[in-house]
Amino acid sequence: MSAAAMTTPTTTAAVLSGHDLHKAFGGNHAVNGADLAISEGSITALIGPNGAGKSTVVNLFSGLLPPDSGQVRLVGADVTGWPSHRIARRGLIRTFQLSRELQGLTVLENLLVTPIDQLGESLVNIFLRPGAVRRQERANVERATEVLHDYGLYHVRGNWARQLSGGQKRLLELARAVMARPKVLLLDEPMAGVNPALVDQIGEHILRLKTDGITVLMIEHNLGVVERICDHVIVMSEGRTLATGRMSELRGNSEVVRAYLGGVLDARLDS
Amino acid sequence: MAPIVYYAFTLLFFFAAYSVLGWGLNLQFGEAGILNFAYIGFVAIGAYITGVTSSGPPPAGSGESYVLGASLPFPLGLLAGGVASCLLAVLVAFIAFRRLRSDYLAMVLISISLVMYDVINNYVPLFDGADGLNSVPMPLSGTFNLDANGFLIFFALLSVGIGAVMWLVMSRITRSPLGRTLRAIRDDPDVVSALGKNVFRYQLTAMLIGAFYAGIGGGLIVEFASSFNTSAWLPAETFIIFAALIIGGLGNNLGVMMGAFVVPVLFTQLPKFIPDIPGHPGLILNLEGAVIGLLLIVTMWFRPQGIIPERPRRPDRFLAAQAPPAPPGGIDADAAEGPPPAPAGATDAKTTG
Amino acid sequence: MHQFWLAVGFGLVTASVIAVAAVGLSLQFGITNYINFAYGDFMALGAYLTWELNAGAVHLNIWVAMIGGSLLVGVFAVIVNRVVLGPFARRFERVFYVLIVTFALSLIILSLINSIWGADVKRFNMSSETPLHIGPFLLTVDQLIVIGIGLALMVAIHLLLTVTRLGKSMRAMSDSTTLAMTSGIDTRLITTITWFLTGILAGLAGTVLGITSASITPSFGETFLFVIFAAVIVGGVGSVYGAILGAVMIGLVTEVSAVFINASYKLDTAFVVLILVLLFRPSGLFARVGRV
Repeated sequence: MSAAAMTTPTTTAAVLSGHDLHKAFGGNHAVNGADLAISEGSITALIGPNGAGKSTVVNLFSGLLPPDSGQVRLVGADVTGWPSHRIARRGLIRTFQLSRELQGLTVLENLLVTPIDQLGESLVNIFLRPGAVRRQERANVERATEVLHDYGLYHVRGNWARQLSGGQKRLLELARAVMARPKVLLLDEPMAGVNPALVDQIGEHILRLKTDGITVLMIEHNLGVVERICDHVIVMSEGRTLATGRMSELRGNSEVVRAYLGGVLDARLDS
Repeated sequence: MAPIVYYAFTLLFFFAAYSVLGWGLNLQFGEAGILNFAYIGFVAIGAYITGVTSSGPPPAGSGESYVLGASLPFPLGLLAGGVASCLLAVLVAFIAFRRLRSDYLAMVLISISLVMYDVINNYVPLFDGADGLNSVPMPLSGTFNLDANGFLIFFALLSVGIGAVMWLVMSRITRSPLGRTLRAIRDDPDVVSALGKNVFRYQLTAMLIGAFYAGIGGGLIVEFASSFNTSAWLPAETFIIFAALIIGGLGNNLGVMMGAFVVPVLFTQLPKFIPDIPGHPGLILNLEGAVIGLLLIVTMWFRPQGIIPERPRRPDRFLAAQAPPAPPGGIDADAAEGPPPAPAGATDAKTTG
Repeated sequence: MHQFWLAVGFGLVTASVIAVAAVGLSLQFGITNYINFAYGDFMALGAYLTWELNAGAVHLNIWVAMIGGSLLVGVFAVIVNRVVLGPFARRFERVFYVLIVTFALSLIILSLINSIWGADVKRFNMSSETPLHIGPFLLTVDQLIVIGIGLALMVAIHLLLTVTRLGKSMRAMSDSTTLAMTSGIDTRLITTITWFLTGILAGLAGTVLGITSASITPSFGETFLFVIFAAVIVGGVGSVYGAILGAVMIGLVTEVSAVFINASYKLDTAFVVLILVLLFRPSGLFARVGRV
């Protein structure tokens, strides 16, 4: 790794970190000794060429896959190998690269599913404490309605989620994650396949998350957006962390430029 | 009374019983997305346990042999059947659920059903093998001094009452947040897990409640017919109930009732009225299965949502009266939109075939 | 001990039957990515068509009839895929639609068999023979032929998958259909051929099952299905070679178990093995043996 580009946050201030992570699929070492640290309250970008292992790292962080070796720490605890629902309960929520809206539910219901441990999810409460269930449901509906307004989805709240357009589904994916009140939000290519006007608006939403105290880690290829909204960037290549720092510093890092097959990095920065 | 009256009440009973069975499978499959291809096994356990806890010991000289042989009074035997089915659900869930994706799970479940059938058929001391139970007493007939015909009408009406209660309970469940979380799991278990919910716990809940309904339905059937043997629950019977759900309309309790009417009642009874083709006795009845299968395939192609489709739920109905708050500078998501969404049902699919 | 070795001999026969069936199921699953729940009925159809050629309308030698019956099931499978399964698989993303369709097909085929041939037990027209002593085993010539068929088919499938272009295309498709398509493989043709093969193998399996069981009934394929599922899951779903090893294991276990328990339940021991594997090695015992 190039010494010039080292501005890693100290691990003690990191709300999410991965240490010497390894994950192989057959002969393919997707993640090969990666170290990452994300400091609390930051918006960090995870960038790198295709096949660098970014999505796999996100899957390791969120518990969808267990690492072959290495450690994942979240909010001060070792969560290596934890199942995804336990990691989510600890405060880490993720979105998916291909929108995974819950198709057989309405847009509103997609948001209403998110709160954990709802009273109405227990048989005992449904029949013995219907009043409490109703009250909590109303509170959730009111909060969900606000979030829907925020994301411009209120007018489609009663539609089946599968009827949304591509851009609306991206927004729903983000809205749903926000509704879950995460401490750390992992966004897997939130701007993927979205047209430019919406890109700006999603960027605004992500910036606003920071003021709500949510730490964000996002995989992103649109380096213009990265430069605008992210205070920290981690570059991965071939399963390892290549460099970290601010986008402006990394632009001058020859290793990083080469990792992007030279030239492509410059072209993207002009956008 | 004319035989047609007794026939009508018999149909009424089966409509009620199959509705109960349908609600149970609907919770497991229509709501939670579990392909329980062993459902009929749960029904059978309910029937057998209700039978052997209500009949007393095997009557001398009857040649029957079965376990237990208690003589519990009416609703207790039925409840025992429901509970027994729940125990089976626990066993199945803990052995098979966390480790398999849904189609492998379906393979294991159907295997469970086939093995249960094989063992019960062969191991006579359990539930009297292929001959089955034949001396199940008519519940409450002593209390009300009923003969066989009177009992038929009485029990049909009683079953409708029980069915109504069970419908109310199921409605409450499917309209609750629990129902919503189950539907979410049906759509995408990974997403629900990524939101912090323990998917297995919810699947277990759906299995338990569904199994209870299966057991009660089976218990009602054995008490109505006073007998029950393996010919009543060939593994293909699971398919009849699936067909009823899909044709009637998945994911909603009214659709289940429509399905219970159309398939087990209408479709199995109609062929009895079609005259036999000369030279081929029994052909119409044999083809019944083929017709149900064809009907199901046709329905799934032209109207996959069933006769009564699942409707979007509006948990915010109570807000309708209030004016919606002005969006705080929120974006109009439509303004920057691409092509309209694809019609429901015709989603992109795998490229096989 | 003598009993044990006899049982092992029978186990090899059963293993051959299961192996033929399990390979047919695995090949099709590898290409289409869904389980055919009507597979047992395809087997039964094969047995009945063979019966018709052997003891019904025509009186061919059993082995010749078997080939005819199996080819017919192959054609049937291709038609079913063209008309029903393929369209459903392409239209619906969620797998349960096509699974239910296979379940419906199961009922349809069963009803048809019942209607055409009746529910009574039928037997093939074969000469009954005295068993031969082959080492510690006691097997009839027909049973030896069944083992031979099993072995020959395993070798043939192995050669197909490793040497022929068709086989390599099948392996590519089972790894990734989209990748296979972009490499210029005609996926629809391969799928059609795969269904033809699975139909033939199902027909063969049903017939040899009928031969080794000495009788056939309309639902006998369906009720045998769980044994095949057990072999496939024990071996590791998705792996043809795993299916073969799973079949050998299940075949041996079921027959050897008959030495210790009541023979009516010997097939159910396959289920016990399945449960044990699910509890301790859910990905299968031989999952690493290789895909397809």
